[in-house]
This record gives sequence, structure tokens and C-alpha cells, in this order.
Amino acid sequence: MPQLEQVEFFISQLFWLGVFFVILFSVLTYITLPKIRAFLNQRDDFIKSHISKQDELIKKAESIIENYEAKLTEAKNEASQIINDAKDKALKESEDLIKATEEKIQHEIKQTEERVAKEKDTAISELNDQLKDSATNFLSKVTNIEKGNINL
Amino acid sequence: MAKGESPLKQFEIQPIVDINFLGFDISFTNSALWMTITTAFILIFFTVPFLKAKKTNSVSDLYPTRMQVAAELGFNFINSLLADTVGKEGKKYFPLVFTLFMFILFGNLFGMIPYSFTFTSHIIVTLALAMGVFIFVTVLGFVKHGVKFFSFFVIPGLPVYMLPLLIPIEIISYLSRPISLSVRLFANMLAGHTLLKVFAGFVSALGFFGILPLVFIIALTGLEILIAFLQAYVFAILTCLYINDALHLH
Repeated sequence: MPQLEQVEFFISQLFWLGVFFVILFSVLTYITLPKIRAFLNQRDDFIKSHISKQDELIKKAESIIENYEAKLTEAKNEASQIINDAKDKALKESEDLIKATEEKIQHEIKQTEERVAKEKDTAISELNDQLKDSATNFLSKVTNIEKGNINL
Repeated sequence: MAKGESPLKQFEIQPIVDINFLGFDISFTNSALWMTITTAFILIFFTVPFLKAKKTNSVSDLYPTRMQVAAELGFNFINSLLADTVGKEGKKYFPLVFTLFMFILFGNLFGMIPYSFTFTSHIIVTLALAMGVFIFVTVLGFVKHGVKFFSFFVIPGLPVYMLPLLIPIEIISYLSRPISLSVRLFANMLAGHTLLKVFAGFVSALGFFGILPLVFIIALTGLEILIAFLQAYVFAILTCLYINDALHLH
């Protein structure tokens, strides 16, 4: 087995193993691995910063949505308030109008009735007077008594 | 495989450039060549995609390139492995586990290329890596806990009369860690490559019926690639567990 027979090359193998292992170890430790690590860290940092930025933006968007919804409900409430007010006002106005009209009509009916009654009275009294006059005239002509002396 | 060639010949070390330093033979061999290729590949694979990385300013900058995704995959794999076994304190040891895993993984994988050389199939290499891990976690344990680190060998909640039996067992199991860690990787690589070579020998030997071992080799190659990954993973996860033991004792 050459591994155990070629003893004369043991030192050579150890020497070159040492040389190349040290070279590899040193270059990897001081140049290559820090470069790779820096590269990976940079990428991680970039991703992390973007994730935190994204979280911030999501929060902002959520607050905007909340704000919007609050404003929307407020506006809806206001609108229904206005509609209710308008309905109430319109109802009241129409009721008032109906009431006022009814009162006016009642009043006019009353007035008309009063005027009719008054006219009736005057007509009756006039008729009475006329009847009295004609009766006086008739009596004075019949009896020749002066009109002024006749008292009915 | 030439006739009469041992299936173990693939593990032979061949010097490419002879170097002698203070009497030590530190020749640049095929093993060293594949360590060079592995190291260069890992460094290029993980560094180049991030050289021109621009700042992330907009969403379109978020998309990584294909190469960046591939490198990230390896990075996150080891990251989660450490996080799962050691926890938050494990971050400090990330470069060590990452280097170990990638070095062994690509060493194993490049070993699957025909005519290449698998340096992780040599016990001296895997033992050196395992001893490195062993010494590291032992020193780490002493630095973190001082003398209290010895309490690691005392299993809590055990009757006192069991301790004389169990403490030696614990110590032996602790000391055998580097051996099991290195032999596991070495043996897996050795067995897999040898098996492939043996069946490859049957392909030419059986003539027309060589198609049967050929089909087997194709399936086995897939399995070997899985093992290449698995053994690197096992090495890395055991390293993590040892670090965890050193940090938290029990």
C-alpha cells in the first residue's frame, strides 16, 4: 500500500498540506468569507428595511381606511338627519296649511251665516215697517184720520 | 490499467519537482499538485463571484448571479451546520470548519476525475488534518475551562464506583478521536478508488461481457461522488461536535 510504504514522501505531503491549508484558511478567513457575509448581510438588511417600510405603509393605509369609513358614517348620519328634518318640516307645514285653511273656511261660514241672519232681520223689520206704513195709509184713507194720529 | 498493475498503483506518490530544504525532502508531488488545484479552485469559486458585488439599492440588485448562489449554498450549508451543532458561539470557528469541509470535499471530488490523484486517500494527510482538529479542540477546551476541562471525562450522574471503569474508557475514546476521524476518511477513499480500479480491470478482462462491470462502475462512480460529499460532511460535523464538547463539556 503506497500510503504506508512511501514513507519518504510523508514530510513532503505534510509540508504541502500545511502550506495549502494555511493559504486556504487565511484567504478564506480574511478575504472571501467576510465578502460573502457582507453580501448576504446587505441583502438581508435591504429586505428587512423593505419589510419594515411595507409594514409602515400598511399601517398608514389602514388608518386612511379607518378615517374614510368614519367620515363616511358621519356623512351618512348627517344625510339621514337632513332627510328626517325635511320630512318633519314638510309634514308640519302641510298640517299647518290644512289647519289654517279649515279655520278660514270655518270663519267664512260663520260670517256668511251671521250676514244672512242680519239680512233676514233687516228684511223682516223692513217688511214690518212697510206693512205698518201701508196699514196706516189704508186706515187713514178709510177713516180719514190723519196719518200722524194713527198708532198701531 | 496496464497488465499486472496493482489497483493500488493509483495511490503512488510521484514527485514532479524535487525540492530539498535543510535535508528534508519536500518535493512537489502529484499530491501537492492536486492540493494546489483544490485550493485554487475553492478560492476562485468562492471569491470571484463576490468581487464585483454591487450595493443593493433596488429590488433588481437582489438577484444574485448563478455563481453567487452556488457559493452562498456552501456558505449557508456550513453556517447552519455550525448553528445546529454548536449554536451561536460557533460563529467564531466558522472559517476553520468551512476550510476543512471545502478542502476535503473538493479533494475527494477532484479525486473522482480519471487520472487525477486523491490526496485524501493518504492516511498521513487525513491524520494530519484530524490531529490538527484534535489539538485545536483540546487547546480550546483548556483555554475555555482550564483544569475543569478534565471533568469532561467524568460522566455526570453516574455512581462513584463506576468512575474507575468509565474514566479510562472516556479517555481512550477521547484519544482515539483523531484516529477514527482520519481512518474513516482515508479508508473510504482508499476502498472506493480501489473498488473502482478492480472493476475497471474486469471491463477489459471480460471482453464483450465487460459491459456488466462497466455498468457497475457507472453506478459506483455515482456512489463514490456521494461518499466524497458524505465523508467531507462527516469530518466537518464531527469537528463541530468536538468544538461543541470543548466549549460546553457535557
